[in-house]
Amino acid sequence: MQAQLPEPVIVIRNVSRRYVRGVDEVHALDDVSLSIPTGHFVGFMGPSGSGKSTLLNLVSGIDRPSAGEVIVAGQKLNDLSEDELAQWRAGHVGLIFQFFNLMPVLSARDNVALPLLLTHLSKTERPRRAEIALGIVGLEHRLDHFPRTLSGGEQQRVAIARAIVTDPDIIVADEPTGDLDARNAEAILSLLRQLKHDFGKTVVMVTHDARALRYVDDAYHLDKGVLLEGEEARLAAEALRATAGHVPAPGR
Amino acid sequence: MKYLSLVIANLRRNRLRSVLTAGAIMLAVVLVCLLLTLPAGLDAIVENASSNTRISVHNKAGIVYSMPASFVRKVRQVDGVAAAVATTWFGGAYEEAGRVTFPNFAVEVEHIGAVYPDYAIKPEQLADFRRYRDGAIVGRQIMRKYRWKIGDRVTLRSTVWPVDLDFRIVGEIADEDSPYFWMNNEYLDQALKAQGGAGLGITGMIWVRAGDPSRVNSIMRTIDELSRNSEAETACETEKSFFSNMFGSLQGFITIMIIVTALVALCIVFIAANTASMAVRERACEIAVLKAIGFDRRVIFATLLTETAALSIAAGSAGVLLAVAITRALRMFSGWSEALGPLGAFAVSAPVVFQGLALSVLVGLLAGIVPAYAAARRPVVETLHEVF
Repeated sequence: MQAQLPEPVIVIRNVSRRYVRGVDEVHALDDVSLSIPTGHFVGFMGPSGSGKSTLLNLVSGIDRPSAGEVIVAGQKLNDLSEDELAQWRAGHVGLIFQFFNLMPVLSARDNVALPLLLTHLSKTERPRRAEIALGIVGLEHRLDHFPRTLSGGEQQRVAIARAIVTDPDIIVADEPTGDLDARNAEAILSLLRQLKHDFGKTVVMVTHDARALRYVDDAYHLDKGVLLEGEEARLAAEALRATAGHVPAPGR
Repeated sequence: MKYLSLVIANLRRNRLRSVLTAGAIMLAVVLVCLLLTLPAGLDAIVENASSNTRISVHNKAGIVYSMPASFVRKVRQVDGVAAAVATTWFGGAYEEAGRVTFPNFAVEVEHIGAVYPDYAIKPEQLADFRRYRDGAIVGRQIMRKYRWKIGDRVTLRSTVWPVDLDFRIVGEIADEDSPYFWMNNEYLDQALKAQGGAGLGITGMIWVRAGDPSRVNSIMRTIDELSRNSEAETACETEKSFFSNMFGSLQGFITIMIIVTALVALCIVFIAANTASMAVRERACEIAVLKAIGFDRRVIFATLLTETAALSIAAGSAGVLLAVAITRALRMFSGWSEALGPLGAFAVSAPVVFQGLALSVLVGLLAGIVPAYAAARRPVVETLHEVF
């Protein structure tokens, strides 16, 4: 008997994305289809220019496809306007960036509470929720610290707290370990996996980092805007593992 | 309101730049407020110096042309005239290398008090003015300036007549801002005759006091009618009109000042706009992140515009307060220093306060609107591509 898979939270059907850059047309993505079940931790991998960040932008509602459909948490994103997409992102997506991108003029608590300004929560409830989120990432003792007084790993934890504070359907991370040393990178990947295990969050991550293969449930390999499948995908994964040494993912 | 903490935090981001921009806006608002007080201040000076019953009678050709001294007797006969006095410019210089530093006139001592009852000259001083041929009555501003006191003797050297005359000060005009020096026209007349001349025989200006303000216009018409077809036709005008015309030459200057002020305000808009643009450019990455996490264009635009407007309004409010403080200080010190003279008449009125605040709002909005709109309107994906 086949095990029942959870409902897909992300469905991408025949998606293409083309840009016009100067006089050239760039095919960033070409006829990509995939679906990601709820509660999975997936990685988009591939070399620079492979289209993985473009795919992440489409999944997170930052960009819209030139063709095909992007459906996330039951919402077809193609038809939403710029402002509608912004509102949708505020309620459904938590974003994590490579360079943390915290507001330097705000404390850790206020940085985490920033997305809550877009909700109807009261002035007293917003910092309380921010403190809970900071507690989840282990920074309950750094509430009033400003970004410049935090280490890189701590700043990325604050960014993760900011991403989860609105309890989004999906967490989207763009090279979250790209600016961290090995120890902090492992800690951040661990934390993302913990969010999946403990809170059932769907986490989608773009990375070059071969270590990520040990943490993700599924890895999608892209090259030149095309999603690799079958033997090509296996070879791409092997090549990536070879760069970091083959270590089985913990807990899998 | 919930975004206010974000706005305040961003204003504190680069305190020196915020303070310098606010300082520029504040000084512009101070300048504008002070210049806007000029027209009202001049009106106040004219109002203070004028009576609604006094009439100036001078040669129709201009105030530098004279009239026969005898004409004043005809004026006194006009129905409704309570008093009239002939005055003649003496142009006397005191000490300061031939320069006339205060207005001094030869007047009819018997009539001067009746024409200027509001000058509050003591009766005994007016009596002394009549009694002593070399007597002089001096405004308090001049008394203060030269540290004169009643009983002092002073010499004025005329720049108009070929005489130097010694005077004894017998009284003062109680008004603190009065700059006049009055002498007996008989004294001048005799001095001129003693030089072998024909005597005074003429007058430069006749001041008339009407018994009833409602009759001022008819009196002016009658006096002008009296002089028609004579060698010295007259032009009557109210005292307020006379002083307004004297200040009229300043109106062009004030207009230029206001144009300059408007240009200064425009410069400040550009400075503030440049600051706002720099602030937005430096924060392109943060704005991209805000957009990415769900801040829509309206919120981005509103928060950025509020930053510039808040800074400008705060600076403008400080500027208005400073302008009020400056005018109050001028009023206070003008009583102590004659150099400040009529500056005490300038006051920042409620409309000027409103205009100063409106200017600061306008500067804030004009300076902030373009960078805020530019930052808000760009799609999030473009912004992210640019900064990451």
